[in-house]
Amino acid sequence: MNARPQATAGVALTLPVAVFFVVFWLVPFLAAVYLSFTDYEMAGTPTWIGLANYERMFADPGFLNSAWITVVYTVCTVVPTIVLALLVAVPLSRPGRLNRWLRALVMIPAVMPLAATSMVWVIIYSDGGLANTLLGLAGIAPQSWLTSSDLAIWALVVMVVWKSLGLFAIILTAGLQALPGEVYEAAALDGSGPVTTFTRITLPLLRRTLLFVLVISVAGSMQAFVPAFLLTGGGPADATQVLPYYIWANAFPYEHMGYAAAMGMVLLAAMVIVSALQFGFLKGDDE
Amino acid sequence: MTVLRSAWLIVAVGFMLLPVYVMVVVASAPDDTDLSGLVFNGFHLPENLRTLFGEGNLPTYLRNSLILCLGTGLLDVIFSAAAGYAMAHLAFPGRRVLFALVVGTLALTPMVLVIPVFLIVKELGWVNTFQGMIVPGMISAFGVFLVRQFALGIPKELLLAARVDGAGEFRIFARIAVPLLKPALITLFLVHFLAQWDNLLWPLIVANDQELWPLPVGLANFQSEVGLTYHLTTTAALVTAVPPFILMVALQRYYVAGLTFGGLKR
Repeated sequence: MNARPQATAGVALTLPVAVFFVVFWLVPFLAAVYLSFTDYEMAGTPTWIGLANYERMFADPGFLNSAWITVVYTVCTVVPTIVLALLVAVPLSRPGRLNRWLRALVMIPAVMPLAATSMVWVIIYSDGGLANTLLGLAGIAPQSWLTSSDLAIWALVVMVVWKSLGLFAIILTAGLQALPGEVYEAAALDGSGPVTTFTRITLPLLRRTLLFVLVISVAGSMQAFVPAFLLTGGGPADATQVLPYYIWANAFPYEHMGYAAAMGMVLLAAMVIVSALQFGFLKGDDE
Repeated sequence: MTVLRSAWLIVAVGFMLLPVYVMVVVASAPDDTDLSGLVFNGFHLPENLRTLFGEGNLPTYLRNSLILCLGTGLLDVIFSAAAGYAMAHLAFPGRRVLFALVVGTLALTPMVLVIPVFLIVKELGWVNTFQGMIVPGMISAFGVFLVRQFALGIPKELLLAARVDGAGEFRIFARIAVPLLKPALITLFLVHFLAQWDNLLWPLIVANDQELWPLPVGLANFQSEVGLTYHLTTTAALVTAVPPFILMVALQRYYVAGLTFGGLKR
């Protein structure tokens, strides 16, 4: 019964969303695929050039540099963030009044907008900023963090690790608090030490949450545009030109729309492959 | 052991808060002489705020950010509530296709879409307009998906009973489903608001007109506006950080729920 009114209501309630996803997601995606096979400089019309954009990429030092920097940036932000977040979340997830306060405080960096965070870290990395002040206390000469091509990428990495740490600590803490307490009581009765408990019980039980954190942090790092844009503008000498920044620069300031679309496709393919690998590795024996 | 654990946590959380403290110190400084941000050099935050709100474009950026975030946030809540509920509980043609479309878009990166979406917005004549900034971001796949998952928890029997009583489908949605979906809708609004508050890429591309800039784009160009004064830039960063703090304090429970959605379900 009621099939007709349900169908009418269902279509009416979903129609705006359906139209929206077709116009602003599906059509743009198909258009991006098409543009990636064209030469399109915004002012003119797209001309079909087949695979030329893709061939060009692998001979373009700018692209190869950006791809490599994105790999370094992703690995060096994701791994320390997750390790540090676990080191904070495991003790933080235990009950107690102090921990309740600390959990609330951890949220402060987590909700800092990235734009505001970047401005603050520009100050921290400035000549007389906190980074150099702390180096000075240790008797080390001040560094030009954001204008040295050796240091700039690491300056970016440190900021991003700091920014994501609070967020992931909260997610992991919530995951840990949802774990069944009886397992820990049983482990304690059996005389399991803290390290054994962590590696044999906590980590396996937390696998789902860890996979979630890993997937979103890898995806976030691979498409990160804002830190490079605000802290270094991709410089000095392209040292922090991550792939999303290079795509944006090609598409908008330089108006190489076709070439930028092709690089976007390569980034998308890389993200899909990396996500699939993570699911494959960590989910494998779940069912 | 407990003491050691607490000591480590206090040190770790202290380090996590250090940049926030530096922000407050530099935002309260009278000038740029000490940028280390370790010790307060007087408390000039009120003067700095007066300077920023008296001259310059910060009030405009703040207004634009609020329009953008409230606008897209409310639209997302309304449309996602309708679609998410329908996808969970109503039988209608195209339901599976729509679900596949929504889930499929979760995998796409904005870096692929910004170019064609910009071309579409340009075709519509929406470059440098509020609609151009708001409409492409007004519905999120995350939102539709979140509401759908949450709506699956509404018992079928409840809806069936209402139907037997002769209530129409729209009435059932508005009177029964929406109140039950409230926690999910608050979570969605919060997550959406925070994401848009920090959206730099899209406004940067679609709005050249300074009158339309939201805070992130304004901040990116701030140094050219107030001259190279670090302490005033930091005050502006502090202003940008305050609304998310307020929302987070008011809606902490929903914030954690939004963050952990997808991470905890077994």
